[in-house]
Order: sequence, then C-alpha cells, then structure tokens
Amino acid sequence: MNWEAIALSLKLAVCVAGILLAAGLPIAYWVTFSRWRWKFLVEAVVALPLVLPPTVLGYYILVGLGPRHFAGKIWQSWFGHTLPFTFGGLLAASVLYSLPFAVQPISAGFDAVDRRLIEASWTLGASRLATFFRVILPLSAAGAVTGIVLSFAHTIGEFGVVLMVGGNIPGVTRTVSIDIYDQVQAANYDVANRTAVVLLLFSFLVLALIYGTNRRAVSLWRRF
Amino acid sequence: MSLEVAIEKSVPGFRLAVEFTADGAPLGLLGPSGSGKTMTLRGIAGLETPDRGRIVLHGRVLFDSERRIDVPARERRIGLLFQNYALFPHLTVAENIAFGLRSLADAERDKRVSEQLAAAHLEGLADRHPATLSGGEQQRVALARALAIEPAALLLDEPFSALDTHLRAALERQLRETLARYGGSTLFVSHNLEEAYRVCENLVVLVKGSVAAQGPKEEIFRHPPTLEVARVTGCKNFSRACRLPDGRVEALDWGCSLRVAQPFAKAPEHIAIRAHHVRVLPAQKLGQENCENLFPCWLAAMTETPFRATLDLRIGAPAAGADFQLQAEVFKQEWESFRDLPQPWAIELAADRLFLLPD
Repeated sequence: MNWEAIALSLKLAVCVAGILLAAGLPIAYWVTFSRWRWKFLVEAVVALPLVLPPTVLGYYILVGLGPRHFAGKIWQSWFGHTLPFTFGGLLAASVLYSLPFAVQPISAGFDAVDRRLIEASWTLGASRLATFFRVILPLSAAGAVTGIVLSFAHTIGEFGVVLMVGGNIPGVTRTVSIDIYDQVQAANYDVANRTAVVLLLFSFLVLALIYGTNRRAVSLWRRF
Repeated sequence: MSLEVAIEKSVPGFRLAVEFTADGAPLGLLGPSGSGKTMTLRGIAGLETPDRGRIVLHGRVLFDSERRIDVPARERRIGLLFQNYALFPHLTVAENIAFGLRSLADAERDKRVSEQLAAAHLEGLADRHPATLSGGEQQRVALARALAIEPAALLLDEPFSALDTHLRAALERQLRETLARYGGSTLFVSHNLEEAYRVCENLVVLVKGSVAAQGPKEEIFRHPPTLEVARVTGCKNFSRACRLPDGRVEALDWGCSLRVAQPFAKAPEHIAIRAHHVRVLPAQKLGQENCENLFPCWLAAMTETPFRATLDLRIGAPAAGADFQLQAEVFKQEWESFRDLPQPWAIELAADRLFLLPD
C-alpha cells in the first residue's frame, strides 16, 4: 500500500474541509437568506461541480491558473511559481470541486430554522452576527457537520480534477485515487485492490457516521 | 407614554393603511383573519418595512419614510410575543429569558432572570427545555422573555390562540395582572372579541387593511359605525333599512317597521340588533297595547350549548325549511318556558337595542 498517497489524500481532505467550513458558512448564509433577485445565478454557479465532468472543471482551472492567464499571472508574480501541478493548485481545485457538497447541506440546515426564531432574536436586541452564532448555527449544526464531512469524503475520493490539475507527482499530487489508477495501469491488481478496499471501507464509515449522528443531532434537543 | 402608528404597505392583493395611537392602557387590535393585524404588529416591531408612514414610540421616531428613518428591529426595544411563542428550542427556560440581556453584567442578568421567573410563576422550570413545557407554560416563558428586556412597548400577537380553552381563563387573568404592572404601551392583537374586550380599554377594529373603528370599547360595541364593525363585534342580525315618513324605520329584510330610539340625521343603510338582545315571548303579548316592535314569529331551527339556545326565527309567516331572518340567543330556562307553546310566538326588537348603520 502506498502510505505516501494515503497521507497526501488525508492532508488534502483536511485542508479542503477546513477551508470549506470557513467559506461554506458565509456562502450558505448568503444563499439561504439573500433576497437578491439574481441569487439563483450564484446558486447555479455553486452547484456547477455537481453536474460538470471533473475533466471540464479541471481543464478550466488548469488553463485559468496557468501562466498565460490573468489569475495565473498574478499568482506567479506574487509567489514565483504557477499553481498547476503543485499541492496549492490541487487544493484550490478541490475546494471549488467540493463547494456544493459543503454549501448545500449547510444551506438546507439554515433553511430549516424557523424564521420566527430568527426574528425573535432580533426583537430581543441581538445583531445579525449574534443571531447567527446563538440561534441559527446551534439549530443547524447537523447540516454544517454533514457539509464538512461530505466535502472531506468527497475530496478523498476525487480523481478527474486531481489528474487534470495536479498531474501525478509522488508526495505532491499523487493521491489515493491516482495511485489506484497507476497500479491498475501497471497491472499490480493486488496493490490496487488493497488500497481500493481501504477507500471503500473509509467511505462507507463516513456515510454511516453522517446518517447515524444526524439523527442523534436532530433528536438531541427534542429528547429533553 | 404613547405609541403613534400611521403606516401604509402594499403587497400583491392586499393594502394596509392604518393610523392609531396607543397610550398607557392596553389597546386591542381586533379584526377577522387577513385584516392586517399581524402585518401591523410586524411593522411596528421592525420586522416588516412599511412603504410609507411614521411610527413614534414615547417621542422616539422608529420609522419615518419622509426622513428616511428606519430603526432596525434589534434597536427598537419592543417586546413581541409571537403567536407560536418562538421559544429557542436549544436553550433552557432561564437561557431563553436571559437571551436579550447579553449586555448586562452576570449578577444583574441573573437577578433580572429570577425576577421574571418569579413574576411568571416559573421558578421550578428554569432548567427545562421549551419542548417539555405545556402550552400555557411556554406562553408565560415567552412573555417573561419579552418583558425581561424592559421594552418600551409590548406587542401581543394572539397570545391565547394556541392554547386549550380551559387554560385560557387562568392565563388571561395572569396576563391582565402583568399588563397592569407593566408601564409601557401594549398592543393586543386578537380575533376573539370577548378576549379583546376583557383585556383592553380601547379598541381598534381592522377590516381589510384599514381602521374601521377606534375608541373606547363600550362605545364601539354599543354603536358600531359600520356594518363590518358590527359584524366583527359579534352582531348577527342585519337588515337593509329605509326611513319612513313617520320617523320609523322599515326593515326590508325582516319585513317589519320599527321604532328606533337612536336619533339619526342621515338615512340609514342597515338596521341591526345583537342576538342576545332579541327577546322571544309567548304569543298573548302580541295584542297588548303598550308593546311596540312586537311581531309574531316562527321557529326555523334551534341549536344549543349547555346553557344557551340559539333560535333561528322568521317574522310574519311560518318558516319554509331552514330559511330564517333573525337569530335570538336565550338562556335555557327561558327557552324551556315557551318551547312547548303553540307557534307563532312573539319577537320583541326593543327600540333602545336596535342600532342603525349609515353604510
């Protein structure tokens, strides 16, 4: 088994989940509560990775962050190298690719909070920020946990985007799924199988955890 | 101590335009569902932005469309009791009450919470979660939470509608005591006229988004200014009316002419009488001389509650089927005194109980 690839995948997934926790909460808040009439356009953009082939997303990230384009040039002038085929590039691509997996459950959680509780909080003098941390987030914690765990698991399992943006550099961009692909290409079916089983069990456990704890989280305050 | 409200707001299919003032005594906002009561309350609390108008609370301008003032809900210091109470399910009773007291020092906050717990008789429930409380307890927690921030005005949105009938009387008494102690302005929204009558001194009657009547409650109940207000205040008997040359009034739908005590300058559109003011008597009264506004009547249908009977009656000719003109509400023992007598009976529409509606 390629422990280097597993460690890299875990590192990537933890970073993605962390970034998406920080970015997903405000985005989901805006998507849920904004009354802007063109909001649906933003929602569609956020949801794009759900339907786009990873190769398409990967292609645009590769080109967009490459040395010939605006964003890539700025990055290069600041950091002295381009993003594609580095861990940073892989991270940026993975965050975009997992964005809907974080935003949608968090937003669904926010949406399920009774609006009258939010209004009650306002009339009691709480600011929007205080209302968010004292009312909305505690009552939708299950949605936030689901979003973060899903984006973590989704990052562990991604393949197409990694291949397009990261290439296959051991220790830098060769993740578990790429490693399995490599082993199969090299006809090392035993090695591929062992890694695949690990990934399969891991995915199953994560999903079981989400479904199990969600029910408990929901019933936690009803039980009292 | 006053709350001045003059706001307008249009939403598709509905237009709200209300103007009223509440002083120290509780003001009742009475109206059928869909009349704009809740929208008015939300506008005052700052949860809904009116299109135009002004809201002034104790001299402090909360909203003024011309001067572009719109104080956000969190700075208005208005206690709002939601219809479903909107208690925070993840917080205990004490935490719910303390929610709006964040800015206070711990000791002061604890003191305020225990005061509210004691005033609402909730001491034993401080550490419970709302889901484990009865409806009446939830209502008291919500009221305590709203009062804890020492609001300049208190808005109560149908505070009893989510409760079982047997709980209402006790809670209503408790609410009346609480309001008597409370120093600010109170708005009490209700569609239940008896409830509003008991809790409030003055009433504003809302019909289809505008104020149809306002003033002391006795005045509104005795002389409703319009047909709609008469309906909202529980009157059931109406007839189109026209003035006769001799000063009497012809009730076109009832088929009789009546003497009316109330003076009227303008020709009335409708004449009305409350069901419990209609008297039903044995027929021999009909011929007697000193009786006026007395007519033969026939029974079309009867419904009963444990202590009262509601009689659907027709004047002049026996009822065909369930067709009736007037409803009378009488006590059971009265009903039993004439139920077995042969019809017609006599119906009396007392001159000082009849009232005229200009439109």
